[in-house]
Amino acid sequence: MAIPGAVGASIVDYTTGFPVATTGAAPNEDHEAAAAGTADVVQAATSRSLFVSAVPHDLLEDLIITTSGGYHLLRLVQTDFDSRLVLYVWLDRVQGNLAMARRRMQKLADELVAT
Amino acid sequence: MANGVHVTTSKTAAPTRLLTQAAGERQTGALVVGGHPGGAVYVLEGRVIYAESPAAPGVGELLTSSGRLAARTWQNALDLGTSTARVGRLLVEQGHLTQGELELCVLGATYDAAYFALSAAAAPVEFRTGAAHWLGPVVHIDPGAINREVRRRIRLLDEIFPDPRVDTAAVSPVPRPPRERITLTALQWELLVHADGQRTPADLALLLGKAGYATVQELRRLAALGLLELPEVRTDSTEFVRLPRTRGSAVDAHRPVVRADGGPAVPVVSGAAPVAAAVAAPDATDPPDPALAEETGANGAVYRPPRLARRKPGAKLPKDLAGEAPPPAHPGTDEVLLKRIRTALRALR
Repeated sequence: MAIPGAVGASIVDYTTGFPVATTGAAPNEDHEAAAAGTADVVQAATSRSLFVSAVPHDLLEDLIITTSGGYHLLRLVQTDFDSRLVLYVWLDRVQGNLAMARRRMQKLADELVAT
Repeated sequence: MANGVHVTTSKTAAPTRLLTQAAGERQTGALVVGGHPGGAVYVLEGRVIYAESPAAPGVGELLTSSGRLAARTWQNALDLGTSTARVGRLLVEQGHLTQGELELCVLGATYDAAYFALSAAAAPVEFRTGAAHWLGPVVHIDPGAINREVRRRIRLLDEIFPDPRVDTAAVSPVPRPPRERITLTALQWELLVHADGQRTPADLALLLGKAGYATVQELRRLAALGLLELPEVRTDSTEFVRLPRTRGSAVDAHRPVVRADGGPAVPVVSGAAPVAAAVAAPDATDPPDPALAEETGANGAVYRPPRLARRKPGAKLPKDLAGEAPPPAHPGTDEVLLKRIRTALRALR
């Protein structure tokens, strides 16, 4: 399994913005700041803007932030018990393939729990 | 097996300092913290393997109250594995949980309980050398990371609504919201529906199977919104209409619930993209499917800013674009990176 163009990744507790695990590079070399930002974005999407409640029983799957230099993908890790984790992958804009990365992140998030 | 949170002989100190000391000496045992809520942090050769507190649901409560495990399954694992301290391993070996689930659950429960056990500036603390936990070692966390995270979590709560009484007092929703329209998250709704004026935040966390810290965090947000009676302003009278004074003290309309700024801006990657995690990605051997190819084509070439999809789903790609794909194999991250996330999970604790 490959995510071409991935520069760095982490698993973040989005209630607290705590990076549970990190690997590779982080924006500004600061995984903790990236994790805090990740948590803010997830909170904004779930609790403040109401995108996730547009349809009954809708569920937030992922969030994609596009900058001129990169893609920032956030994928919610679904567990049966209360865990509140999000997988974050930073993709290089030129080398990355957004659609492929998105599908592979889904697989990774599922495998994190399923194995 | 010193699982209880009963303190016999102890001195008053900062729990985090004692944890650091136990870690420095690579000790094995339990740091038992008294007071309210108190708790215990279990260390194995200087690394934290578990923590528990009456204010935080443990692994068993999280797994059973969510319905992930039947109460009987959990009880069986306890009966079988408690004496040998391998309850966690048993659940995986018997196929009730995956290793990933167990690790994520233990990790979450440990940081959660550690917050309650260690957040007091001073409390009666005692180190019980040799004490082991029946769960067994599932994760190994650096105590420094725990201490830092505890301090950060204290700060986060105060940024939301700086009143620690909310964390412990019986939860009592205001009978009438302080404004015409309010928006709640699912957890906030659950908390308000189950708050009966008697249950404390810890009771609610256990009842709902939610992390104790997440519960307290949402309650502080509710308090900031003016939706909770603060202990001080509670009265025994049954008046249903609150005086404006109450609103004023409880509602801080200008306070953003979540830090709106100060967070890191999404950075701009400069021309030379970081290649710290450069690992050979055999992308050429992995042809993107047609649905992905347009994206790839665009990215393989020089970056052209606002390029919107001009192709209908399923339509054939223009020949010149399709020819470009796949892009030159990028020494990007891959399977190794993903595996490293798992490895990092283990390495970080």
